[in-house]
Amino acid sequence: MKAVLYLHTIRLWRYKWSFLNMILSEAAWVFLFVLGSLLFVPKEQLTTVVKGAFWVIVAWSMISNFSSLVGGWMRFFISIGMVEEHLLRGFSPFKTLLGRLVTGSTVIISSLLFMAVLVKGAFNVDLLTVDQIALLIIGMALLAIESLSYGFTVAAISMRTSVPGNLLEILNLGVIGLMMIPIHSLPERTRLIYLCIPYTAPSHLVKIAISSVPPELVREALILSTMVCVTMLIFAILAMKLANLWIKKNGVKAIGFW
Amino acid sequence: MALRTLFKSGVVLDIYFFKNNRSAFLFTLIWPYLTLTLIIGMGYLFGSAESFKQNVGVSVDPLMYFIASTLATMVSLDVMWGIGGSVLEHRWIGTLPYILLSPNRTSITLVLTYIPRYLLNAGIQLAEFAPLIFVVEGFYGGLFRLSIVILAITLGMLPLLGFSALFTSFLLSIKEESNVLGWLNPLILLFSGAFYPAYLLPRWARIISKALPSTYTIELARLSAIIGSPELRKITLLIGALVAMSVIYNSASGLLIQAGERKAMRKGAI
Repeated sequence: MKAVLYLHTIRLWRYKWSFLNMILSEAAWVFLFVLGSLLFVPKEQLTTVVKGAFWVIVAWSMISNFSSLVGGWMRFFISIGMVEEHLLRGFSPFKTLLGRLVTGSTVIISSLLFMAVLVKGAFNVDLLTVDQIALLIIGMALLAIESLSYGFTVAAISMRTSVPGNLLEILNLGVIGLMMIPIHSLPERTRLIYLCIPYTAPSHLVKIAISSVPPELVREALILSTMVCVTMLIFAILAMKLANLWIKKNGVKAIGFW
Repeated sequence: MALRTLFKSGVVLDIYFFKNNRSAFLFTLIWPYLTLTLIIGMGYLFGSAESFKQNVGVSVDPLMYFIASTLATMVSLDVMWGIGGSVLEHRWIGTLPYILLSPNRTSITLVLTYIPRYLLNAGIQLAEFAPLIFVVEGFYGGLFRLSIVILAITLGMLPLLGFSALFTSFLLSIKEESNVLGWLNPLILLFSGAFYPAYLLPRWARIISKALPSTYTIELARLSAIIGSPELRKITLLIGALVAMSVIYNSASGLLIQAGERKAMRKGAI
């Protein structure tokens, strides 16, 4: 694992311009779209809305980056013939993928800080002041595990069949729409069902932590997000094990995520 | 090689690109509606149409405002990415040295082979949004608003071609096109007032936005969202600005591109 971490840290340094570009472009694209939506907000509510929108975007950025930086890297790994090399040495290629956590976290944290500076400059809203820091950390940690599990599942699927990156982007954008919905705007009977959808319960916890929504259904959100998190993790582990077995039996096909 | 041949090769390339990349074609169809739904959906979730009108400072229909903005933004991005990004694509597939060594100037080849893609993409997006515009505005109202958008994206292409050719020669000379294109495109759109009017941006940003042709394209397209009829004076002014920018950017690109191409060939930036 030391070698894996070393590999991804070195790559992060060698491709620094590419990663810097990724950070800048992601922040700029998100800012572009959010500015349009903020035109609908009455001036007196701007501070609360900007803060809520920002943290939801951070959550989305985590999902999107982990799926593309973890899941998407499998294509490169397959194309340079490294899957076979690792399997022959008894090291799972998925363990190598785990090092992408270094890359993903660096990009996410840097984008977050850059976006915070951009928004602060445009709206003079301090986005990094949080009311319930513990809840924010729990929410973000659960989101990270859910999105990493998703990234690993995508990587495992891409070993057997092609995964169109464009369609995953559409799916990720659908997720941002779901996460934006304030739970109190939903009918009471559907709220728990809403929290069962992956990513929605941790993002609800994040919204409570920054006081963007009233502190409703906190316990339910914690239980449901843990359950969804564990399910996604088990699913990802199973998908990776099955993909490993399948590769050993059928060989590697150069498919990947594209 | 005749210019007509270059144009024809662009047409054939695009037809086969979509034929062989069906998911890319599907994505082209879905993406504009997805952008529109996301912005409007989030907007109504956060606020209301009344606040929107107050913030924009003009009596506009939010839906038509964002349809026009999305269309103008998508086509502006298409020109910048289509011409600038083609350098990257040619470098990756190994055809850039052949284009640099071909008898026609590189920028001419890139622009002429790109025009069919612009027409095709703009046509597809107009056809996609036309039914929605007709449903919202009625037949005659829709036709009028659609005409303004068509005028904006047709006229807007002219200065953007020169602007993008300049952009391309800059990319050719710095050798870091993939790392520059990614963030420069959204930044240009941001300063052009893509979804947030340029006149609401801070003063320093407004100065930059005035120099960008996409600002005028987007503003002209957005006049279609004004409730009632837009002023003819404003339309004429924006057309004038776009024509002037076409002359400036295309003349400047003619002068500077050769230098950029020579530098790329001398330094072997391929």
